[in-house]
Amino acid sequence: MKRLPFALYIAAVFIFFYLPIFVLIVYSFNNAQYSLLWHGFSTRWYHELFADHDLWVAVMHSLTLGVFAATSAMIIGSLAAISLYRYDFRGRQFLYGLIFILILSPDIVMGISLLILFSLVNVALGFWSLLLAHITFCIPFVVVTVYSRIVSFDEYIFEAAKDLGATDMIIFNRVILPLLWPALLASWLLSFTLSVDDVIISYFVAGPDFEILPLKIYSMVRTGVKPEINALCAVTFGITLTLVLISQLLLRKKQ
Amino acid sequence: MKKILFFIFILLNITNTVFAASENNSNILNIYAWSGEIPDFTIQQFEKETGIKVNFETYDSNEVLYTKLKADKNPEYDIIEPSSYYVDRMRRQNMLEKLDRNLLPDFKNISSDFLYKSYDPESSYSIPYVWGLTGIFINRHLPEYKTTHDWNDLWQHAFRDKLLMLDDSREVFSMALKSLGYSANDDNPDHIRNAYEKLRALSPNIRLFKSEGVIGVLADGDIDVGMAWNGDVYKAQVENKNLDFVFPKSGFVIWVDNFAIPKNAPHLKNAYRFLNFMLRATVARDACLDNGYPSANMAARQLLPVSIRNNPIAYPNKTILSHGEFQTDINDDALALYEKYWEKLKMGE
Amino acid sequence: MKNEHSFKYFSLSVIWVWLLIFALVPFGLVTIASFLSHSDNHLVELPFNFNNYKQLGNAVYLKIFRESFYIAGGCTALCLLFGYPFAYLIARMQSRFRNLLVLLIIIPFWTSSLIRTYSMITLLKPRGLINSILMWLGVIHKPLSLLFTDTAVMIGLVYNLLPFMVLPLLTNIERLDDRLIDAARDLGANRFTTFRKIILPLTMPGILAGCLLVFLPAMTIFYIPDLLGGSKSILLGNLIQNQFLVAQNWPLGSAISIVFTVLLLILLLIYWRNMRDRLEGDLLT
Repeated sequence: MKRLPFALYIAAVFIFFYLPIFVLIVYSFNNAQYSLLWHGFSTRWYHELFADHDLWVAVMHSLTLGVFAATSAMIIGSLAAISLYRYDFRGRQFLYGLIFILILSPDIVMGISLLILFSLVNVALGFWSLLLAHITFCIPFVVVTVYSRIVSFDEYIFEAAKDLGATDMIIFNRVILPLLWPALLASWLLSFTLSVDDVIISYFVAGPDFEILPLKIYSMVRTGVKPEINALCAVTFGITLTLVLISQLLLRKKQ
Repeated sequence: MKKILFFIFILLNITNTVFAASENNSNILNIYAWSGEIPDFTIQQFEKETGIKVNFETYDSNEVLYTKLKADKNPEYDIIEPSSYYVDRMRRQNMLEKLDRNLLPDFKNISSDFLYKSYDPESSYSIPYVWGLTGIFINRHLPEYKTTHDWNDLWQHAFRDKLLMLDDSREVFSMALKSLGYSANDDNPDHIRNAYEKLRALSPNIRLFKSEGVIGVLADGDIDVGMAWNGDVYKAQVENKNLDFVFPKSGFVIWVDNFAIPKNAPHLKNAYRFLNFMLRATVARDACLDNGYPSANMAARQLLPVSIRNNPIAYPNKTILSHGEFQTDINDDALALYEKYWEKLKMGE
Repeated sequence: MKNEHSFKYFSLSVIWVWLLIFALVPFGLVTIASFLSHSDNHLVELPFNFNNYKQLGNAVYLKIFRESFYIAGGCTALCLLFGYPFAYLIARMQSRFRNLLVLLIIIPFWTSSLIRTYSMITLLKPRGLINSILMWLGVIHKPLSLLFTDTAVMIGLVYNLLPFMVLPLLTNIERLDDRLIDAARDLGANRFTTFRKIILPLTMPGILAGCLLVFLPAMTIFYIPDLLGGSKSILLGNLIQNQFLVAQNWPLGSAISIVFTVLLLILLLIYWRNMRDRLEGDLLT
């Protein structure tokens, strides 16, 4: 059984990944406020979680922001990817390089740069500053996702359509979109996730009127008082699990 | 293509109206307060009673409050909760609204121990809410427990990399000044420099600077010894029986957190409604039962259970309190010196 | 026939304008700000000077840069050490099983980083699981003081960033041509030589990509040292955040960011050079 040590190693790493989360979930059912000893099973933290009005407002805000940011980024990003693929224009290399650098840019530099921009132009920190920031950091990911899909197209499709007299608009609607929509969907999902989870950039450009979930979690963790957070973690983990499984099933169906 | 543009246009319009509508709703109150002092249920009770929507934000240092207010070109907060020495500062810099006593019938509930002090001579800009003092917390099982009575004991080698210090420049410096026998509000540059040098010697012992969420750290026993507010220790003791609080012999700081209204607050009427709400004895009592800090509201104190009223940590007797010193504001030059040394200390210089 | 080019112009102008306003200009502002000064009343103001950069030469800041390097570097090394075998084993597995395992890696990766860090906090507490197990096993008699130390920060960083090392390595190792390995074996190379001469060089792009994706965030994610670290765990990210939101010294914060960006560009250059040389090397063989 030469394979055994390998299997054990892989198992060990997976345990490393999942153990903390499972511990969290287990303790979310612990009937004690502070103590880390087991005091009996209870779902009261889940009751508190669902009754926490402010938290749900923040969740709604994050979801709304995510939808708008993902949609806008998807539109702008795909237009950019399509253009980068189809057209040759001045500065093409530069644009591609710029987008690549944006992906690698540390969030904190992007966050402070946008903070400076917004304070210079006197944009109040709140929904709009968050939206603009989120769209900006999602666009590069959309471009890369869509571009890598477009590159796998048969070039001749475009040639054929053009020969048949189709204008750019028609080519876009009838040829590009239908072939591209899995990548569009994937990039939307990716942007949505990035937006809903973003902590660092949002930290700098958020305002008091529009509370979002990651920042709310951050302040809850810093005050670290109630196991309500554990319940929240368990719920988010469950949702993530479900979403990933669904997206995998969707992708599987496509093939 | 046109269809998409049209769609986006509609979407933006809808968003705009949705958000514009919520902004035009003037029944809002923006509160910016110390983290951990106003319980969620108190806010919810207020919202339910008055129908006013509250935007609640917290900070964990007066400096954050001050810089935020100074940096904001458009006034956005209606209620803030500065500590006494910042009431002093903000009052003198015209950052606060003068309070109309006629609109605050329950003002009489406030204990006279906290009124007409030097930081607000006519008590016309602030309403004391909670107060407390800063001392030493320590785990009873530590071998050094029996011998730790004063600030200077924190410097002992056995406490290397063990201390929790408040993340507050004035508090930490006051502690050092007291240990040197000076006043907690000293503005003598030489004394301040001595305090800084002494704190540098303490650096190796300091594990963590934290002002927010200290209760969790104390209750879980994550850190065994350091400086903390009496209210935090009192609350944490419920879960951590090993925890004890020591009133340093050479003296300590007494702080008072007050409600105030920033100048040109957007929702003045709602602000007054909130102040009256918090002045109510039952509300103040319930809040203090939750946050664990002693209340400045006399009427609320009468309603507290006897066990708490007599708890030596939460409500120390007058003799102990005589060792305490109220925090006052100091001149800008001294303050700049404090800040400079604090920065160096935090960076490990 | 106006339609033909209008689509092109529309798309291009949208992306250029957006990136110009929200990527290039802000970055330019940061660069400019790094040469300005500040005062109590104004976040940034003239005169232009090099003071901020000079200040960064102070021993204090150099110490913080060094600390950040060590912790980020250590984290990257650990991620590589543990991540490479992990990625290698999985990449060489059968397709069905492999896809399932990749899925299992992605799930924590999609879970909020804050939540994963919070779960680490609970684990590292004196009364937390790790200490409880170690005490129960008799390995230690007093709980280890792990929380609020550099060690905790390192563990937290590795925990959060390991997927960033594993995923690029996986994609890279998956493309490894078995025939090359077989050929080496046929020529008499043992396991170790095969690894050194064939596998390692071929997977180098993956290694570099993984290291880049771990090292940079390790230096700049401020909430991990903030939640897990002690007073001495100040990394670059915390420093920048502190200058912007606490010390209100935007010029200095900007200068630190610029220095860091220059570092990033240098690393990118090294990566790109390496990729290019590699390609040329491939062409030669």
